[in-house]
Parts: sequence; C-alpha cells; structure tokens
Amino acid sequence: MSEQQVKELFDYCQVRYLWQFFSRSWDREENIEGIVNAANDMFHGRVIKKHTPMERLFYADAKEMVKDFRENFPWIEQLEPTKITEILDGLKSMLREYTITKSLNHELNHSLY
Amino acid sequence: MPMVLLECDKDIPERSKHIYLKVEGEDQRDFLPISNAATIPGTLSERGCAFCGAKLVIGGVLKDTIQMIHGPIGCAYDTWHTKRYPTDNGHFNMKYVWSTDMKESHIVFGGEKRLEKSINEAFDEMPDIKRMFVYTTCPTALIGDDIKAVAKKVMQERPDVDIFCCECPGFAGVSQSKGHHVLNINWINEKVGTVEPEITSEYTMNFIGDFNIQGDTQLLDQYWKRLGIQVVAHFTGNGTYDDLRAMHKAQLNVVNCARSSGYIANELKKQYGIPRLDIDSWGFSYMAEGIRKICSFFGIEERGEKLIAEEYAKWKPQLDWYKERLQGTKMAIWTGGPRLWHWTKSVEDDLGVQVVAMSSKFGHQEDVEKVIARGGAGTYYIDDGNELEFFEIIDLVKPEVIFTGPRVGELVKKLHIPYVNGHGYHNGPYMGFEGFVNLARDMYNAKANPLLKLAATDIRGGNKAALKEAAE
Repeated sequence: MSEQQVKELFDYCQVRYLWQFFSRSWDREENIEGIVNAANDMFHGRVIKKHTPMERLFYADAKEMVKDFRENFPWIEQLEPTKITEILDGLKSMLREYTITKSLNHELNHSLY
Repeated sequence: MPMVLLECDKDIPERSKHIYLKVEGEDQRDFLPISNAATIPGTLSERGCAFCGAKLVIGGVLKDTIQMIHGPIGCAYDTWHTKRYPTDNGHFNMKYVWSTDMKESHIVFGGEKRLEKSINEAFDEMPDIKRMFVYTTCPTALIGDDIKAVAKKVMQERPDVDIFCCECPGFAGVSQSKGHHVLNINWINEKVGTVEPEITSEYTMNFIGDFNIQGDTQLLDQYWKRLGIQVVAHFTGNGTYDDLRAMHKAQLNVVNCARSSGYIANELKKQYGIPRLDIDSWGFSYMAEGIRKICSFFGIEERGEKLIAEEYAKWKPQLDWYKERLQGTKMAIWTGGPRLWHWTKSVEDDLGVQVVAMSSKFGHQEDVEKVIARGGAGTYYIDDGNELEFFEIIDLVKPEVIFTGPRVGELVKKLHIPYVNGHGYHNGPYMGFEGFVNLARDMYNAKANPLLKLAATDIRGGNKAALKEAAE
C-alpha cells in the first residue's frame, strides 16, 4: 500500500464529504465503514446491497466518491483489486484517526445529540 | 504560533484559544479553536440569544403559524423582520408579530392569565389560523410561568387549534445555537408523528435546514418537482406546522444546515430509521453532487443527470462570466457558522475566489472541524469574533469583499470595503445553480461599484471642518 496514494484520497475526502463530520463518534464510524466498504465493492464490480434505507444511503455516497476518485486519481484504475482494498482500508484508518480517535471535538462522545 | 493573540485582545488573552491561523501541514488534529463556549468577559460578542435561535431562525419561518412571544415587547420586535424569509401565501410570517407585552405588574403578579388572554385574542383576530408557537423569554422563565399548562387549557377549550411550546429563554445557552437545539428536540418529541401526510410520490424526503432566505426553498422546490420527489416537510423554509408533524413519513432526510437542524435529522434517524444525507446547496459542483446523491438513493439517476445538464446549460455561462472577473478576489466570511464551510470551497472552485478569514458566531467544534478541513492555509478562523478583532483581521489579510450581517456590514462599509449580506443576501436566492449566479453577481457588483472609490474621496478641499470625536 502506498501511503502517498492513501493521503491523496484522504485529502480529497476531507475537503469534499460531509459524512465524515457527523455529530457523534458512532455515526462517523458508521458512515466511514458503510461508505468506504460500498466503494470497495464498486471497485470490485460486486453487486451493491440496497435493501435497507442505510444501504441505499451508503450506495449514494459511495457512488459519488468512486466517480470522483476515478476522475481525479486515474492511477486507481490501474491497481489490482486487492491493492485497491488495501488502499481503501488505509483511507478508512486515516479518516477514523482524523475525525474520531484524534479529533479534538469534545462533543463527539456526548450521549445526547 | 497557530493560535493567535491579536493586539486588541492583549488584555483578554483567553481569546487566543478562539482564533486560529492555519499553517501549511497542520490539520484539525493539531489545533481546534474553542467554540460553543461562553463569551469571554471583556469581548463585545455579536451573538444572539437562545430564544432568538429558536424563534428568529426556525419557528418564525413557518407560513401558517402565530408566533406568540411571552415576554416584553422588545423580544418580539427584535426577532421580527430581521430575516428575509418570504412565503408563497403572502408572507404571513413577516407581516405580523405577536407578543404578550409583559410589564412590571405582570412580572410581579404572574403572566399566565395575560398569556391565555393573548393566545385567545390572536386566534380570535385571525380565525383562519389554527396553529401557534408559544415562546417563553428570560423574564417569564424566571418567574416560572407555566406556558405548557396555559397552552393545554386553550387547546381543551378550542379543539381545532394546536399549540407548540418552546421553553428556551435567552439565557438558556451561550448563543442562539441552544435555541436551535431546544426547538429541534422538543418538536420531534412532542409533535412529529401526530399527523399522517398524503403521500403523492414513490419518492419522499424531508428537506431540513433551509429557511427560504429570499426564496431558497422555492428555488430548490422546482428541482424536487422536476425530479418527481415529494418533500413531506420543509424544516422550515416556506413550511407549515402540520407538514412538520408528518416528518416521520419521509424516506430520506436531506440536510443543508447541519448546525441549526442536524439534531432533528439525527433523531429522525434514531427514532424512525430515516437516513440522514448532508449536502451543500450553495455552489454548482456541490449542488450537482447533492442532486446526484439524492437521485442515487431513489434510483432515479437519469432524471438527476437531465436536470443537472439543463441547469448547467442555462446558468454555467453566466457563472463563468463572473468567474473571469472575480478570479483571485480575497473574501472574508463572517456569518453564523455553517456558511463558512458551505461556501469556502464552493467560491474557490466555482468562482476562483480565495477566502482569507472566516468568523463564526455560534458554530460548534463540528463546524470548526469542517471549515478547517475545507479552508486553506494562511486563513484566519475565528470563533465569536468582535468588532475590534475584525478591524485587526482586515489589516492583516486585506479582504476585498466581506460577506457578513448588516450590522458588521455597516462597519466595513465605513472602511470602504465592499460588503454583501451573508445572512439575508443582497439579491438572492443564493442556493442552487441560479442562486449561485446571484451570489456571484452580488459579489461582482459590490466589488466593482464605483461609489466605493467616490465615498473614499474627500472633496472638501481646504475647507475641512475639524471634527471632534465623541470619545476624545
């Protein structure tokens, strides 16, 4: 996995997507996991589950992200599928670190919205 | 030295925790200015109060609802007519203002009877209106008037009316943000689920956190109609009381202003399982992205692409005309909170404008995270800024146009810096494709206005009369 490639995708996500900045740690985690996993499935050409409202939401967000990645980072299309999974796992870790584990937002773990 | 102590703040050094200058290579893990905290004594805050956040921002937008303000007359007047949110029924919400006009004797002997009389008078005078919000204010909260008991009594006597009580006096929080929160949470707990809407489309959503500023809601509504999506409730632009009671029946919550209205979207997700989709409604590429996501959720992608293509064909050439002339403009955004992160990248991407300073009155840490993630290095990020700080920041970054409210706008006009109303807009709407062209036009007109130069020219020649400042 190239750290540089992960960082490029991460920097793009940071300025573009609001789903990583939801109100609490648990819904940030839910979004990062759901959306990046759906994106991984798309890169692998798998059928995306759209049975529940949340699955449809992750699909909608992931679809835009995959399109953006393909347009702005053409190198991603050249990668082996396993490599793409590695890079997207790295992206998830980085998003978690910046928006959850090392976030200085003291409201993230408040029990109430 | 990323956290900044301005020269004007030398006697209140705590302010340095609220002002951040982003440096290349830093991110929001390193520094996050304090926000949603009590204003520091010694700084002249420009915040509103918690009651104002509930009434002026959210409740007062509704087009079919009496807004009864239980307090002194000033609480009513100062939260009326200071926002421009029209409606499609003749602007009922902006034509009238209601107050119990509490005086000293009512404070001494209690105001519940006066409130009951005022509620009945208002319904009698406006027999077509059957819905009401009642707000408590600082004095009526302090004397313990039970507004819910009064509302319950009136509803028993007048079964055709429905009343919502918002118990959020001005002192309840550090800023207007508390009022947003209280109204959101009380509304979902007390009113959502009490009306069943007529469903007319296979695709239904709530549009949350858009207040029809100069017609934003009405402009976006054209898109949803063209896409065949039924908006069950607008929270609260051009919205009705009963539509908001039916929010539980939508399939999707689309959120624009996450600060004022994210709470209700979160609760609708928790209590009713309706997903929350946050979008940016300002800016071409953001708006297109939002439409694409909504359409993907419903499986109507082709309709979305058609709409975007039509709108781009119609409005993009105009946007580009302004972009050519605004490229490189240095802009400051001093508004409430969310517009900082909604606008900073959209003006950069769509207009080539560089945002050099941003100040938020009531943003929380979530908002500051978003704005630092989206904003550039070399930009100042200020929480709860005041006039002296604005003067100093202007000297430091030399903005060429400032988007802010009318009060700060008057200040910057005196410095001969172009100002555009970032709250109520100059000539909106600003949302959507057409709206962003309006924003660009207002920015261009502000910047290119020859009056600015003329106003800065002293034509008195040698006959200047010495003016003595009052403070001297």
